[in-house]
Amino acid sequence: MVVRSYNDELKYLEKINDHCWRIKKGFQPNMNVEGCFYVNRRLEQLMLEELKNSCRPGAVGGFLPGVKQIANVAALPGIVGRSIGLPDIHSGYGFAIGNMAAFDMDNPLSIVSPGGVGFDINCGVRLLRTNLYEKDVQPVKEQLAQSLFDHIPVGVGSKGIIPMNARDLEEALEMGMDWSLREGYVWAEDKEHCEEYGRMLNADPAKVSMRAKKRGLPQLGTLGAGNHYAEIQVVDEIYDKWSASKMGIEEKGQVVVMIHSGSRGFGHQVATDALVQMEKAMKRDKIETNDRQLACARINSVEGQDYLKAMAAAANFAWVNRSSMTFLTRQAFAKMFNTTPDDLDMHVIYDVSHNIAKVENHMVDGKERKLLVHRKGSTRAFPPHHPLIPVDYQLTGQPVLVGGTMGTCSYVLTGTEQGMKETFGSTCHGAGRALSRAKSRRNLDYKEVLDKLEQSGIAIRVASPKLVMEEAPESYKDVTDVVDTCHAAGISKKCIKMRPIAVIKG
Amino acid sequence: MLKKKLEALGYPTPSDMALSNRKDFASIVLWLEDQKIRQYAIEDRVILRNVENIEMWEDAYQKYCADLNMPSLGTQNEQLAWIVGHAIRLEFLDDPAQYESINSKQMQPKINNKQSQKKEQMIFDGQINVNDKEFIAGVRTLAGQLNVPHHPNHLVQLEAVARVVHERLSPAARGRQPIVGTPFPFDKGNDVVSDSDAALDLPMRILRLLQIQSLRQLQTHINETIVSVQNLTANPKTDTKLGKVGF
Repeated sequence: MVVRSYNDELKYLEKINDHCWRIKKGFQPNMNVEGCFYVNRRLEQLMLEELKNSCRPGAVGGFLPGVKQIANVAALPGIVGRSIGLPDIHSGYGFAIGNMAAFDMDNPLSIVSPGGVGFDINCGVRLLRTNLYEKDVQPVKEQLAQSLFDHIPVGVGSKGIIPMNARDLEEALEMGMDWSLREGYVWAEDKEHCEEYGRMLNADPAKVSMRAKKRGLPQLGTLGAGNHYAEIQVVDEIYDKWSASKMGIEEKGQVVVMIHSGSRGFGHQVATDALVQMEKAMKRDKIETNDRQLACARINSVEGQDYLKAMAAAANFAWVNRSSMTFLTRQAFAKMFNTTPDDLDMHVIYDVSHNIAKVENHMVDGKERKLLVHRKGSTRAFPPHHPLIPVDYQLTGQPVLVGGTMGTCSYVLTGTEQGMKETFGSTCHGAGRALSRAKSRRNLDYKEVLDKLEQSGIAIRVASPKLVMEEAPESYKDVTDVVDTCHAAGISKKCIKMRPIAVIKG
Repeated sequence: MLKKKLEALGYPTPSDMALSNRKDFASIVLWLEDQKIRQYAIEDRVILRNVENIEMWEDAYQKYCADLNMPSLGTQNEQLAWIVGHAIRLEFLDDPAQYESINSKQMQPKINNKQSQKKEQMIFDGQINVNDKEFIAGVRTLAGQLNVPHHPNHLVQLEAVARVVHERLSPAARGRQPIVGTPFPFDKGNDVVSDSDAALDLPMRILRLLQIQSLRQLQTHINETIVSVQNLTANPKTDTKLGKVGF
């Protein structure tokens, strides 16, 4: 790796406009394309400070700074366009979280990398609407939070309460949300409002290790720990009235439920297994990368194909997982308000994946090309009239669900034409970490964090309170900064802002 | 279409015909008068030749339009379309015999032979002669009463009539509750068609809405199918003994 002083490093970075920086070739060795990242002034400081810290003599260990990771991804074989960092970017395994990159499917050298998807495959956000308003929920929010907590299994090592055997799991891995539909856990309309209609067709459970299945089976239908949560939120602000009304959001104060979860231990095991296989494939095919963590295989190699099929199965796992929790949430609400989920109008507004690789067609240099788009900590944001978005959102553009940090706020954005052109239809996914987990544990006290939430009127139920400071708002970038940057850069458009009134967490 | 017509008349450079420029427009008009229309005697055309001095030309053009008995038309394109049409009519009248072999009766089957045959089969199972004069007249009258715009192919028009009847007049449509809620103003959506060309924008939006409507019908149909299958297969259960909830 090249060692340069901070000032020398800055020569490779160029501010194109108020919200976008270019990373020139040469910043890291062998860059095939340029990189770029979207920031506003505050996020820009965080970004550059991270780079500056890594340039200090003797700075070793830990992850590379986000900018360096973007540039390393730009050096991967077969990448097209640019390696793109979204405003919520922070260092991750190989790829930074908040990095998207597209690879040409027709180039035999193009690669697929598990690091570009992340360990929590198809981690994503689902938003349910209700016809309740804040005044209906405020008096009973403690009971409601408890009721949710009593219905949804949460926390490290939690087990699902939907009976499943090994055969059910095999079917669920292959069918995704269609399994949940068949078994009656979700509504037909839920499938319609889900990315990929809740099922990746190339999933092959035979490509998934026994170990992954063993880990996954008991965890299906659980929220998990870490940054995952279920939140009862109220609409705080509507920026785009027409699009909001298309999503069934009519007024401020309307109550919605956000579920943020992924494929649990199953996805983690699939990714771990693939990394082992890919290291071998890299040696065999002589694939060179700047970072050992960027283990990858050619898309058309056996390892590449096996990973894509197993990843699709893990994606299906995650959709079944979120669907099961949708079912449990509806039950909790129905019990609380003594009515049916139908009467509460508890429809899924949308379900997004922000850790996934998908085959999509995009325009590159004026030509339509088939690409493998890696989105790690990045949400798909397709513009109006794109054939892959539900018919109900053809006029508004795809809803993009951006979950904030515990106790702050969340957003719904919509996809734009400009995003399609600039970022292969991708935008941010959340707040993005500012402090590492270890650092948050050292610097913050969990009691203070919980007190603060209580003071702001948020009912909270946590399975393991001692880990709560990892997820404290102080550990994250400001989601509003992130969302405003995406809006100002035009890669997605602000539609709705929500604030939480009750949180349940792992 | 205009380009095709000009090409048919033998206009020398229709491929790079740009009508943004009044001067180009003037030279096309002049060419048509010179070659095809010949409304004026050669020496009287001098005033129209003043293409370089566009202001003087405009006066001559006004008079020319009046002499051609052109109805008052709004845009430059409409006027040109009318003049070209006039030129074609004159060209045809010069020697109608030459075009005898090309007429609509023979061209029609050539253009959409397969299509219309299929359509004929589909309508009434081929039991009725859909090219019967009375039938055609019936379709035209029906279309007139329902305010369906004219189409040269009466079968296409019949399809439109069927759609109107299905959507508005069928028993199912009549019993349907009127749609409530706030209408979505389709000209205010996030979708962009064209910033500059309003003439393109509106029809595109309407076409897209129609497409969305048919997609919606398809999706509703799919959902209904899923629900009917669910009635057979669904049996959701939970068992709280399996895991731990509510600490």
